[in-house]
Amino acid sequence: MSARRIREARRSGKIALVVHPSLETLASFQAVLTKNEFVAIIARDLPTALLAITQHRLDVAIISSRIQEGGDGWALAGVIHLACPEAFVCVTSATDPDIFILQAAINNGAREVYLESNPVSEIVKSILSHIDPAAQKKASEDRVQ
Amino acid sequence: MPSQRSILLVDDERSILETLKIIFEREHYHVSTAASCAEALNILQDGHRFHAVITDLNMEEEDIGLKVVAAAIKLRPRPAVVICTGYPSLENSRHALDLGVDYMAHKPVELTELISALNRLVSRPRLGASRK
Repeated sequence: MSARRIREARRSGKIALVVHPSLETLASFQAVLTKNEFVAIIARDLPTALLAITQHRLDVAIISSRIQEGGDGWALAGVIHLACPEAFVCVTSATDPDIFILQAAINNGAREVYLESNPVSEIVKSILSHIDPAAQKKASEDRVQ
Repeated sequence: MPSQRSILLVDDERSILETLKIIFEREHYHVSTAASCAEALNILQDGHRFHAVITDLNMEEEDIGLKVVAAAIKLRPRPAVVICTGYPSLENSRHALDLGVDYMAHKPVELTELISALNRLVSRPRLGASRK
């Protein structure tokens, strides 16, 4: 991501951070988020993610619950929630959310948990409906017309 | 809003209510208590404002504490909202996440973690709080 594009995104106010160990998944999220007028900052590991947090005011954060080892994504979600309290922070999980996953989401400030097996486009669509319900409603009305 | 940090504790078990009251008063909180969902809703509707609300879920009915959560979350300034439950389920956990609960503790509660979480939550800027 060029510095110029990040500056432009800051002006329009839509920056998303995606943290996931799989490059393929990161590329999918980046493509869908860009299509939805976000600038997607991607990170495969915790140091890169932490660097991104120090340099950007995030609007959305999509964090894998497993970055380098099981469960380390939850702590990162908590850090992002503290650093950017207005950001929509969500976590992707390889398994169906149970009571402990939902508890981890609540206690780390995540607003939603998504199954990693869900299509990336569905996850982004759901995120958009959370952060801008009016725009999402209008978009679906436009599609109906 | 008083300068001392204030919390509303909601639990239908008097022993838990009294124990938590003593513990949080030691942490320099001003503590109000309610022994039922109905009592808690009356307190919240009477215009009392708190920095945090800690509620049980199963009281008069199963998961009725979620009504306390929903009422607390609508307040401005918005208090930190914490659930302490001995009966977590997928349904009530999901509902708590959707409502925007700040912290969920499963009983038996690890007190040092609860106190630490509460201190962190009440010291953050709160939605609807005026800046001085």
